[in-house]
Amino acid sequence: MTRWIGRLCVIASLLVLLRPATAGAATVGELAPDFALPAAAGGNVRLSEHRGEVVLLTFWSSRCAVCATQLAALGELQTTYRSAGLVTLAVSVDDDLPRAAKFARNHPARFPLLLDRRKGVSRAFGIERLPTTVLIDRRGRVRFLQTDYRSTDNSYVAQVRELLDDPL
Amino acid sequence: MRIARSTWQLIAFPALALAFSLVIEPAWSAQTSTAPVATPTATPTATPTATPTAAPTAAASVAPALDSAAAVAPAEAAAATAPATSDTTVEASTRALDEQIQDLKQSVVDLNKDLFVLEEELLFPANTQVAVFVSMDVGEFFGLDAVTLKVDNREVSNYLYTPREVAALVKGGVQRLYVGNLKAGSHELVALFAGKGPNERDYRRGASIKFDKGVGAKYLELKISDRARRQQPEFEIKDWE
Repeated sequence: MTRWIGRLCVIASLLVLLRPATAGAATVGELAPDFALPAAAGGNVRLSEHRGEVVLLTFWSSRCAVCATQLAALGELQTTYRSAGLVTLAVSVDDDLPRAAKFARNHPARFPLLLDRRKGVSRAFGIERLPTTVLIDRRGRVRFLQTDYRSTDNSYVAQVRELLDDPL
Repeated sequence: MRIARSTWQLIAFPALALAFSLVIEPAWSAQTSTAPVATPTATPTATPTATPTAAPTAAASVAPALDSAAAVAPAEAAAATAPATSDTTVEASTRALDEQIQDLKQSVVDLNKDLFVLEEELLFPANTQVAVFVSMDVGEFFGLDAVTLKVDNREVSNYLYTPREVAALVKGGVQRLYVGNLKAGSHELVALFAGKGPNERDYRRGASIKFDKGVGAKYLELKISDRARRQQPEFEIKDWE
């Protein structure tokens, strides 16, 4: 019995050693994976076209109550810093696309609300919690990842300002 | 004794695994990630794997780059240590340094170009290569949104166009939408176009072509043009013989 447990431990150890790297998940300091997605309001948006600008990418769902609050706050942020080179993109991870589209209509945002039909983008960024916010610098590198939102927390404003101050 | 050995196994193997993942693996990955950048010798070792035609050009462009890099340091050191006897000598040395930097940049650009060509040749050899291009003429009756490409009933590409990309196509740009490998024989290509048609209505059309792939590379063009008489867009697939 103990021999079997020992063998299981060996196998488990080997599995730990040979585990695949977390493929595709966006990591701080690395280039953000490029994507093109349709916007709820029409047209398509490609991330790489915003190279040279600071991109605030947020992932949301129509079922996430906090996301609605966050999107409203990000609208304010976008209005303030648009002229300085901030671009905000919000990617929906909804399974129910009509519901997501309805949410987008009911919550008109000052930035594109994108629909990730195939979930390819949320997989590429390794999204596990909502809302998740990714800050991408002017060179296209992921600089900050935030997996929570509190209306009292203004840390991402400081992060946005830091990236906007950073020249290309 | 047996129990003791099993217990030892129970403790030792996870401990080894943990030690590996904490100490050796990060050090290893750090070493491998910095190796190509840190040592210029990594580039010449990579060139022998290249095809015989492209390898000498790549190696040739590496050599002046390394020479220039080696030359930059002494020039810089000389500029820093030598007393500034006159403005003209300082200006001359600065100009020389600037020229060397420009030469180095040019060498890097040339090397990058050679590597790109080499990558294309290796990934898509001419005898199996199939490339599909997209072009647009006028585009008054059709606002392109997406193109889905199927080869032999298998989806190989699904591309979404941004307004900026559509504008580039309307201006006369040609986009390489897909490049892949196909064996010799007859094949079918189906292209599905989605977008806004006349009067801003959703518009979806398809076009297909059956083509024979020979020994050489095959180039196909998806051409979107306006048919003014019918007030409709027209989609055709051209085979570049």
